[in-house]
Amino acid sequence: MRLEEVIDEAPGIRTLKLAFQDEAAGENFSFKAGQFGLYSVFGEGECTFCIASPPTRKGYIECSFQEVGRVTNALRQLEVGDTLGFRGPYGNWFPLDEMKGKNIIFVGMGIGLAPVRCVIWNCLDLRADFSDITIIVGSRNVDLLPYKPELKQWEEMSDVNLVKTVDPGGETPDWDGKVGFVPTVVEQLAPSPDNAVVIICGPPIGIKFTLVSLEKLGFSPDQVYTTLENKMKCGLGKCGRCNVGNVYVCKDGPVFTAAQIRALPQEF
Amino acid sequence: MAEFKLNRDKLGELVKALKGEGYRVVAPVEQERTFVFEEVDDPGEIRLDVLRTKRSIKGWFFPRVEPTLSYEFDGQSVTCKSDLPESPPKTVIIGCRPCDAASLPMLDKLFDWDYRDEYWFKRREATTVISVACDAPDSYCFCTSVGGAPDGTAGADLVMKKTSSGDYLLEPATEKGTAIVEAAKSALDPATGNEEILVGEVPQRFDLGAVKPWLDDNFDHEYWKEISYKCLSCGVCAFVCPTCHCFDIQDESTLERGVRLKSWDSCCLPIFTRHGSGHNPRSTRDTRYRQRVMHKFTYYVDKFGVTACVGCGRCSAACPIDMNICTVVAGAAKLAETST
Repeated sequence: MRLEEVIDEAPGIRTLKLAFQDEAAGENFSFKAGQFGLYSVFGEGECTFCIASPPTRKGYIECSFQEVGRVTNALRQLEVGDTLGFRGPYGNWFPLDEMKGKNIIFVGMGIGLAPVRCVIWNCLDLRADFSDITIIVGSRNVDLLPYKPELKQWEEMSDVNLVKTVDPGGETPDWDGKVGFVPTVVEQLAPSPDNAVVIICGPPIGIKFTLVSLEKLGFSPDQVYTTLENKMKCGLGKCGRCNVGNVYVCKDGPVFTAAQIRALPQEF
Repeated sequence: MAEFKLNRDKLGELVKALKGEGYRVVAPVEQERTFVFEEVDDPGEIRLDVLRTKRSIKGWFFPRVEPTLSYEFDGQSVTCKSDLPESPPKTVIIGCRPCDAASLPMLDKLFDWDYRDEYWFKRREATTVISVACDAPDSYCFCTSVGGAPDGTAGADLVMKKTSSGDYLLEPATEKGTAIVEAAKSALDPATGNEEILVGEVPQRFDLGAVKPWLDDNFDHEYWKEISYKCLSCGVCAFVCPTCHCFDIQDESTLERGVRLKSWDSCCLPIFTRHGSGHNPRSTRDTRYRQRVMHKFTYYVDKFGVTACVGCGRCSAACPIDMNICTVVAGAAKLAETST
């Protein structure tokens, strides 16, 4: 892949826009929202990220990541024009076909917004297929909110309800969103579970408490979809690293319903 | 039924005949005070009498370290080439045990799950497996508790059975095994049908049927802390195990070129599941040891219908502080018994 564009979303969070060096491969490439790939810096290693751009937009893919270690550090050293490796798409996907006609509630916390963003744009590109769309975005503070220009776009859409929030203490004087942890904001917003589906991603503790709030509101764990991030290496169900219970996150996931997650041993 | 036998003194002729047909011959040999499978030039080195080699035969299908692709840097661009071995050498492994052979079809299921692992299958296709039935199992053996037998045929192309005269009866189990008998005809004699076959007995150590339900219900049981207290997380068990197959992928490079390597890894090692963020879902020894047992005795069964343990006893024999997976699983079966 060729690095086309570097976008700094927030301190430590960067998005890379990648084009296929082999144009034919690019034209033939397709994936479904929720799938992931392994992005590599040759010489440093591979990293697993969801494909953060929607499948409805062709010719390029995007990934968003936080710098945490060797490969993400190397990814941050790359400049436009550099060569990267990519293999994918792997894993399962959000069953959007089953969600047609429903109200979709997206919840993205911090860097967890990246996989959700893919589904958001996928749905917005097919807007007529879905009923009400609510997007709840939260982060530790204003600076750390990713995709700021896109948040603005979603705010301005008349057929989308965007709710943005930062943790208490994370607001700035000119912050015009809510202040509160995402689970609390979800409870206050009180979306109806009728004909609704929730797509959520964030840090494990954020997901855990938001699920509690959603259940209080009457959502069943089968209506809530999330994507698990586990350490992965092969992405193909061979190397064993992502095995949790009798599932392999890279093959049976990474998209799971909350009900499926509850059934797993809680070691992820 | 065996049509042919190998006279105890004709092993050298057998090896010569096989080499003449273009086979690379791999067999147990003594190396640095232990026994391992190596390519053999001098058939005099072959030790068919060794019950348990240190390492299993998996390295001949799934090498400890192997390159997957190589690349070269040129300014901003990178050129890659695949390192998949398109034509591995035609090989015969002679002298493994039925438990070793049984590990191969067991691992085939994982390596063929949706994505076919050609690194594994090309070597499988190029290799013929000749196992030797066990006439003298020891206390570490527990093949019969996990669906195997000292004269089992699973995974073997040809089974050699020792007779009281010291000769071996040859029982082909597949077409490849029959092909070996053909190739080695000059070194073989017809079987009389009166030979006394020596096969040892491995008493059943636990009821496998009781194990899985207990494991499925007791993820949080105190038992895991108790039995893993001594574990060092050294990973030797996975290293010697015929069915352990977890691996790592790492890049190694210079400024000019590099290689992407696949290498053995183990869920027992402390950083196996550690995320880049530092979060580690299995940061303690008991969680890791539990994963090892669970993966082998229940998760793999759910996914592929077969237990990922062949009862060879290598892990227990190699463990520096004497942890014994058979004892652990038997303990679980016992708990299952007392709780019902």
